[in-house]
Amino acid sequence: MRSLPHRSAQDTGPRDAIVFIAALFATLVAVTGLLTVAARADGAAARNGLVTLNDVQSGTLLLKSKEPGKYVPAPLLATDAKIEVTGPMARARVTQRFINPGDGWVEGKYVFPLPEDAAVDTMKMIIGERIIEGQIKEKEEARRIYEKAKAEGKKAGLLEQQRPNVFTNAVANIGPHESVTIQIEYQQTAHRDGDRFSLRFPMVVAPRYVPKEAAAPQVVDFAPGSGWGTTQPDRDDLPPGTAHPDNAKDLTQPPVLDPEEGKVNPVALQVSLEAGFPLGKVTSSFHKVDIQRIGKEGAKLSLAEKVVPADKDFELVWEPAETAAPTAGLFRETVDGEDYVLVMLMPPSGAAQPKAKPREAIFVIDNSGSMAGASMPQAKAGLLFALDKLKPEDSFNIIRFDDTHELLFPQPVRADRENIAVARKFVNGLSADGGTEMLPALKAALADRTPGDAAHVRQVIFLTDGAISNEKALFEEIARHRGRSRLFTVGIGTAPNSYFMRRAAEAGRGSFTHIGDLAQVKSRMADLANKLEHPLVTDVTAQWPDEARTESWPDPIPDLYKGEPVMLAARMDKAQGDLTLTGELDGKAWQVRVPLDAGETRSGIGKLWARRKIAALEAERLMSRDYEKADAEILNVALEHHLVSRRTSLVAVDVTPTRPDGEPLESRDMPVNLPEGWEFDKVFGESAPAPVMHKAMRAAPTAMLASAEGPIADTAQDRGLALPQTASDAPGLIRNGLFTLLAAFLLMLLWRRVTRRG
Amino acid sequence: MTEMPISSVRKRPDWTAPAGAVLTALLIALGGWQLGHGLYIKAKAQLAQMLLDSAWEDSLRTGTPHKAWAWADAWPVAQLSVPRLEISEIVLSNASGEALAFGPGHMSATDLSGKGLSAIAGHRDTHFSFLKELRSGDRIVLTTLEGGRTVYSVTGTQVVDAATTTLDPAAGNGLVLVTCYPFDAVARGSLRYLVIAKQVIS
Repeated sequence: MRSLPHRSAQDTGPRDAIVFIAALFATLVAVTGLLTVAARADGAAARNGLVTLNDVQSGTLLLKSKEPGKYVPAPLLATDAKIEVTGPMARARVTQRFINPGDGWVEGKYVFPLPEDAAVDTMKMIIGERIIEGQIKEKEEARRIYEKAKAEGKKAGLLEQQRPNVFTNAVANIGPHESVTIQIEYQQTAHRDGDRFSLRFPMVVAPRYVPKEAAAPQVVDFAPGSGWGTTQPDRDDLPPGTAHPDNAKDLTQPPVLDPEEGKVNPVALQVSLEAGFPLGKVTSSFHKVDIQRIGKEGAKLSLAEKVVPADKDFELVWEPAETAAPTAGLFRETVDGEDYVLVMLMPPSGAAQPKAKPREAIFVIDNSGSMAGASMPQAKAGLLFALDKLKPEDSFNIIRFDDTHELLFPQPVRADRENIAVARKFVNGLSADGGTEMLPALKAALADRTPGDAAHVRQVIFLTDGAISNEKALFEEIARHRGRSRLFTVGIGTAPNSYFMRRAAEAGRGSFTHIGDLAQVKSRMADLANKLEHPLVTDVTAQWPDEARTESWPDPIPDLYKGEPVMLAARMDKAQGDLTLTGELDGKAWQVRVPLDAGETRSGIGKLWARRKIAALEAERLMSRDYEKADAEILNVALEHHLVSRRTSLVAVDVTPTRPDGEPLESRDMPVNLPEGWEFDKVFGESAPAPVMHKAMRAAPTAMLASAEGPIADTAQDRGLALPQTASDAPGLIRNGLFTLLAAFLLMLLWRRVTRRG
Repeated sequence: MTEMPISSVRKRPDWTAPAGAVLTALLIALGGWQLGHGLYIKAKAQLAQMLLDSAWEDSLRTGTPHKAWAWADAWPVAQLSVPRLEISEIVLSNASGEALAFGPGHMSATDLSGKGLSAIAGHRDTHFSFLKELRSGDRIVLTTLEGGRTVYSVTGTQVVDAATTTLDPAAGNGLVLVTCYPFDAVARGSLRYLVIAKQVIS
């Protein structure tokens, strides 16, 4: 018995060997097939990266490399910021010094953030003793002027707006070991929340990808106050399970430096503060500062470390001393014979907290495929939190949507324990799938069964990532059918379409909240819930003395929540007479009269007004289809007020050429630091697509493409669009499929022969 | 004992048979899936263009974008045609991998109004396989909702490495069609074939 297997093995050995070889061959083919599948998965990952690059709306992502020394030949940059705060107004002067440590002529480019409401009006280029003042020009013209100067070897500076809060600064023809200084100035207003005033100086453009574990809250904060938005939200629905959809679409992203290489872009910062009232506490939220008090109402601050790397935003907070902060502020300026006023008014608040009205809350939750991954749990957690905040006297309903939509209850129901339990179960059972058809859900949410009901406040809370295509239709729906409802948008995920959601909330007279990760759900939703529970003054309207010849922003005026002031910027022929503000406070009429001629004169009010008007025109542009008209108006306002906008840039050109003919000009982007608390590998990953490297865009008119060549090019960075993957798997699949079938056929034949002989 | 050899002969296929059958079945399944999936990709590309055609007609009629199917994440934004080759393709609103399966996609960071640089990407093995036949001087007609009809003339082609080359969206006025290269390659690669066209002033 023992010998039998031996014998049979000997007998059938060769045949078995054939079967074996065939099987091996077949397995090889099969493995090839599987490898193709694996390669496909890899391809998908790389493609995701490329898609993102490709979809960036303005300019593009600039890439990074982890190789040490990567940025060594890049120009260096030093920034000095001086901010003067007088009352609610702040004027900042930011000086950036571009230093070329190399032996060639370079063009330096730097992407930097500014506050979203910053009105940038001045740029100066300082070369040695000479100061060249930047001129405001239409964007294309400014670029032409710059490119021409660059080609002629002249020093030139160009300041462009990429997004309302992201700007780029380029300087051409910095000679070997030379430095060029660019100074920009902007105007903004301090933020006020109750008696707390604050001012933020953003220092770093946050990379688009928020690492889940490493996010320091104050850094991730960038989204709510930013315009990271997109006019074409053409996001791809990622397959479920894609852990980190890398899909912020619209930042111009500078190369980011690996912290291992040390920090660059040192920043020095000084603030002089004149509050206009006796000062109490003055604090810097994220940096150590030296504070020197000047009199009762003033202070001077500078960074304790003198110079810090630009890796986290600077925030200054100041509060009044025991005596309460003023409840009203009025500032004015006359420009070209026209008067501009800025009105700030705190509605009564404090101890006598008006009793909040019961609410009718309509929650709309997006469970479309684009919410798959981390977004859906965040949206669910946010909604569950909001449900908990409902009081029994409130009523509510939930609408979920993907390419279909569904109402939980046919009509809003009382927020009693049973109904809340039903709602919780419904929310917990949601999963992300399908397309995004937001309009029907929005219509259903705005359908008000009792439009005349003044005893309840009606709030629509919309939780979505905003991956939608029909913004205009949605804006129209909101503007037309908002009625008494207020729309609160909650942006979910690392890269929601905040531009859309912010504008939608403005049109819906509500507010926008961003939840970037699960850890933020609680605090952000609590802030929102606090707001939702305490609408302080509603239906605010302003009557100006010369109504017909007054242009005031924002329009309409949003409801006021606890701690928020009314802020109005207006232009009129002559600031005289009384402005009357009316609204509803705690069920009673509320009225305040502001004598306009009493205002204190401050420069910069006109610019602030213009900045607000541009923001309003940008929103209008989306709603009306008349892009050209809106663009023309934006251009006019920006040119008139000397402001950088989407349509205008500041350009400065030195008249004397400095770069000798024949010397090539290399273009470099300034690397920026990763925001503090972020991990380089987590943000960019080991498997990030190969760095896109390229050379200076040559001035030749046909040079649409810049390719990398030579050793210097390997380290040069420039702006450009990555070319997407444009092959499908079809040919490979078909080939492998045919091979595999052939192998199967051969194997079958062999096997038959073997069995037949047997 | 003497029967044993016979029984052993009869039993011999016992281990090869199931293994062979399973292996063969697996291979047939895998091969079938690969072939089927490959053909499906091709079929999808063709079928989608038919659906997109009618969505595009709707878009032109109403002046607003229409999706070809409700859950689509890309919608027709332009029609690209090459009269000499009798080619007409509907261009989708983005060049994501998902969109490219259905049609060429507009690289949405570039212009689409005919006033700047427009870039459109497509698969070399389906919609953009005709790129290899384009020659200098060929007319390309791009019709968009924003910019109407713009005629371009091919000025040249170029093979570049996507790992080292990017497109400057502000590089002037023109049209760039992008596809993978070489056309008959089976694996994905980083080479791209570009057709560069200038606007024809009419």
